[in-house]
Amino acid sequence: MFLILKDYGLNAPFNRKYSNKLLYGSFKTDFCLVTERMEEGSETAVVVKNLVKRFGAFTAVDGISFEINKGEVFGLIGPNGAGKTTTLRIISTLLPPTSGEVRVFGNDILRDADKIRRIISYLAEEAGTYRNISGKEYLSIIARIYFDSEEASKAVEEAIEFSGLGDRINDKMKTYSKGMKRRIQIARVLMTKPKLAILDEPTAGLDVFHAQYIRNIIKKYAENGGTVILSSHNMLEVEYLCSRVALMHQGHIVIQDKPQAIKNRLNASNLEEAFVKVVAS
Amino acid sequence: MRKIIPLIEKEVKDLLRDPRIYIGLIIPVIMLPLLGSIMSTAVSTSIQTSMVVLKIAVIDADKTRLSKEFLNLLKNTDMSVYEIDGTDLNSAINWMRELGLEFLIVVEKGFEEDLNNFRVANIRVYAIIYSVGLGSIGKYNAFQTQLQNYIKIFSDMLIYRLNPNVNAETIRKPLNFTFHSILKNNVVKIDPQTFLSQFLMGYSIIVPMILFILSISVVQMAATATAVENEEKTLETLLTLPVSRYEILVAKLLGSSIISVIGGVLFTMGFLIYFESMLKMPGMDISTSFYQVLPPIHLESFLLLGISIMLSIFFITSLGVVIGALSSDVRMANSLLGFVIIPIMVPFFLILYGDPKVMPLAIKLVIYAFPTSYPTLIAREMIINPIPVEAIFGIPYSIVITTVILYVTSLIMSPEKLLTLQHKLRARTVGKEKRQ
Repeated sequence: MFLILKDYGLNAPFNRKYSNKLLYGSFKTDFCLVTERMEEGSETAVVVKNLVKRFGAFTAVDGISFEINKGEVFGLIGPNGAGKTTTLRIISTLLPPTSGEVRVFGNDILRDADKIRRIISYLAEEAGTYRNISGKEYLSIIARIYFDSEEASKAVEEAIEFSGLGDRINDKMKTYSKGMKRRIQIARVLMTKPKLAILDEPTAGLDVFHAQYIRNIIKKYAENGGTVILSSHNMLEVEYLCSRVALMHQGHIVIQDKPQAIKNRLNASNLEEAFVKVVAS
Repeated sequence: MRKIIPLIEKEVKDLLRDPRIYIGLIIPVIMLPLLGSIMSTAVSTSIQTSMVVLKIAVIDADKTRLSKEFLNLLKNTDMSVYEIDGTDLNSAINWMRELGLEFLIVVEKGFEEDLNNFRVANIRVYAIIYSVGLGSIGKYNAFQTQLQNYIKIFSDMLIYRLNPNVNAETIRKPLNFTFHSILKNNVVKIDPQTFLSQFLMGYSIIVPMILFILSISVVQMAATATAVENEEKTLETLLTLPVSRYEILVAKLLGSSIISVIGGVLFTMGFLIYFESMLKMPGMDISTSFYQVLPPIHLESFLLLGISIMLSIFFITSLGVVIGALSSDVRMANSLLGFVIIPIMVPFFLILYGDPKVMPLAIKLVIYAFPTSYPTLIAREMIINPIPVEAIFGIPYSIVITTVILYVTSLIMSPEKLLTLQHKLRARTVGKEKRQ
């Protein structure tokens, strides 16, 4: 069974009036699954509607739509080149969409980019660090962009705490390992208390311990009301962190639902198996 | 503004702690004075040593009383004089080479007869060039000065013979010209030729030289600092912060400029010490007292020069930032620098070696188009003329052009546009390298 709603306005009065919301997947694949009942009274953090992004003749994102509720951890999963990073870059105001609509807490991605940058925090997949600045100095520089000096000092202390770097926080970042750099970046992202944290492969390249550490930080952040959209290749991580996931393939969303619902529907024992089934089909 | 300050702090700290930068800043303060001192000492020592042991060969083809007196005159100086019996030039030169003699004086036959008849007596001088260098120039100059003394002694002798009561100096130089130069409204007792040559060596070279070298290091530093943001993948994070693209670029400009000014001050100190050492070198007859007789320069002129140097640094830095932003990595930024540096340096040399006032309009426009031209213009005019009005208009112009460059760059500073531009530039650069 296929269901396509072309004029599905997620911010339309219809949706606010009726709590029964419908989500839909790809228009262009045969594998289009729909349905999810959302909590009554939930506030929408991100709305992505018919989003298309082309780079010349190549279409990286091809008409995807989804929405994320406030306080939710939403996962984008998919193979390399599926369009996950492009989608995250668009939401974080780095790339303009070719067509479609993206709203973050009601702000349009093109018209209100400045407003959006004040309420989001983005972690790029390969986010680098400044070689000759210490971790503490880096956090302080970022904090002072967002807060006044007193608030910034408090935010830096908090960030140092959950970076778990101890005394190494005072060392130049060129001396940090990959895991330490990632931890300082996660600390940077969450320190500013963004309404929406956009994390592209937050644990990529980290060992089990560091990955676990970062997952716990993200989990705690979401439990305190923060909204997160993340992409990951690690299905265990996605299952552990995300309340809902969208599986992307060749620029389309082929399925989106709660991890358990996806596993049930595809008769898979875990999300990895479901992922393989979806991509293979 | 509150948001720019942390970004400027980031730039300054990241640059200042980079060994490639701070070593580059410190090197001129150590290397230039060291270089000047080494050169000065080497040249002085070389000249002094060579003067002490200056060996001269003499062939007396005349063998008369006067020619012998001339030889005695030579022997009474600090030089070692070797008399050669034969008159064959080739064997004399070979012999000189064996003994390491440098000069050969040949007193021709008829020397005494010519002098007694008040005709010019001919003496041939040969110099074997063993090495080329400042030491050799100084040595040759000193030898020539010695020869001039002999001319004076012989002319005194001849004049005395004609009339013992006459002042020989009056006969030799019956007209005395006293040269004056008029600078602005001041009459200064300096030969215009001396003024022009020494001025060119002094004021008008220091400023362009400092700016020239400083510009290269500034543009390279700004381009590297910006390209590193692309290379190290920190730009994406920067672009998602709640600061505008323009503010990011202004922070980069100001951060790099602060380091440039520190570098400029250190470089100027090093260069001035180097220059002073060069002035003290034998053979470099630029006297420091020359500058003391020049008319005083008004404080406003120095202020204007300082402002124009600062704006010039801002302009150069903004170009470096643009190059860095368009480059995907430092290597690409460095290869693009040549395209910017060369055209900017052209006005430097046009002003240094020519007078913009008499140049064709098209060249004038090229000169005035670059904010880097104004400090050089002001530096050369501030002593001899009132500051040209073009240079004063150059100040707001420099501010505007730098702001426009930054604003336009901020417009293209979106990852998508940058990636497209970087791709095009890379394709062009790679294509050019392949063709070469």
